[in-house]
Amino acid sequence: MTATKTLTKQTQQVSETRRILRFLISEMWPKGPLLTPFNIISIPTIMLGIGILAVRFIYGLGSVTNLNQHYPWGLWIGFDVVTGVAFAGGAYVITFAVYVMGLEKYHPIVRATVLNGLLAYVFYAGALVLDLGRPWNVINPIIGNSFGYNSVLFLVSWHFMLYMLTELLEFSPAIAEWLDLKRARKILNGLTLGAVIFGVTLSSLHQSGLGALFLMAKPKIHPLWYTEFIPVLFLASSIYSGLSMVIVEGTISHRVFSNQLDPKKHHQFDEMLLGLGKGAAVAMFVYYFFKVLVFVHDRQWNLLYSGWGAWYLFEVVGCVLVPCMMYAYAYRTRRVGLLRIAAVWALLGILLNRLNISIIAFNWYLPVRYYPSWQEYVVTATVVFTEIWVFRWIVLRMPVLREAHELPQAAKVTVRVTA
Amino acid sequence: METYTYVNIFETKGLEYLLLISFLVLFVLLVRYLGGPQSKR
Repeated sequence: MTATKTLTKQTQQVSETRRILRFLISEMWPKGPLLTPFNIISIPTIMLGIGILAVRFIYGLGSVTNLNQHYPWGLWIGFDVVTGVAFAGGAYVITFAVYVMGLEKYHPIVRATVLNGLLAYVFYAGALVLDLGRPWNVINPIIGNSFGYNSVLFLVSWHFMLYMLTELLEFSPAIAEWLDLKRARKILNGLTLGAVIFGVTLSSLHQSGLGALFLMAKPKIHPLWYTEFIPVLFLASSIYSGLSMVIVEGTISHRVFSNQLDPKKHHQFDEMLLGLGKGAAVAMFVYYFFKVLVFVHDRQWNLLYSGWGAWYLFEVVGCVLVPCMMYAYAYRTRRVGLLRIAAVWALLGILLNRLNISIIAFNWYLPVRYYPSWQEYVVTATVVFTEIWVFRWIVLRMPVLREAHELPQAAKVTVRVTA
Repeated sequence: METYTYVNIFETKGLEYLLLISFLVLFVLLVRYLGGPQSKR
């Protein structure tokens, strides 16, 4: 009797595995038109980028980048890693707001935000490998080959790895729903709150940890940008950076994937954007105060009377205070268009801040400057385009923007066929 | 004869305290502004 039961169970498991495999194969086919403007631009760029990366891994960094002993970190670190991780801050902010603070209003955007964060970490933080002179050593922090307990990069690498797994766990109920695995979905849903709390803890530490990487470069960074509070500033700015990214990415997603959404939710979405803008305005104001306080604390008045001073004021006043006021005004007057402009402006401000610290104001006294090569730009575009391709592939298949019950019944149909 | 010495707030923490108080006032104003009724469009 027991042997029969075991055999039946094994048969069911084999049948289930076959069902999932068939479903996965059926989902591999492209959905939607192939000849879109985005595809026409992105496919050649990605192919060229892959070719450049092949040259980079065969002949080394010097063959495709303008990096040198004075500028060991360039565009791939400054944009992909340092800026990309700040842009991905929306995931920890939104999950904290929804699951910990109970702001259910933002629940419909949680999955898209978490997916965006997960992919940003996989691709942008993954781009760290491209910039390693000996990329095979990337495994060292994990396998314990010379653990660098005193190294900030050791902390950052572990945090990146753990946070990617945490975000995968936060997103996994959507995968279970897609595969129609009800029991797995129930278990994974139960783990969400724990994953969120762990994820927020990790995020607050590695967002500031990325800033801490630059503490060791005190003599190299212009005094207007160097401060011992860089980690605090990185963490504070990641909050509004993440919120701004959610506004921009959400706006684009709602236009591109409008067929995925219930029309009744379009109005709710504008309300959500306004709420996010309000949060971003408060976060930017606090960040602006931190910047002013650090500036006054370090007594840097005389440094303002130079080109660097003007550039600094442009970043702090023009790209923090101005979008902050735009956010506040847009919220009060319910101008969603203005809110979107403020979000893009705030993101440009974050980009400028991260590039200033990592590239522009780095080694500012040297006569020879670093300018990224065209190959570096192409590889950066490749990373961004590939992330968008994966994001689109997932959104078109899994319940990210739509509810689980609105899913096409492909999985269930396959069950019937298999049966 | 007693002399009176003016404190240079640039040399002390005075400016930072003033900044902090200004921030608190401005922050309250910002929160009140954001918490006010939204205009209908």
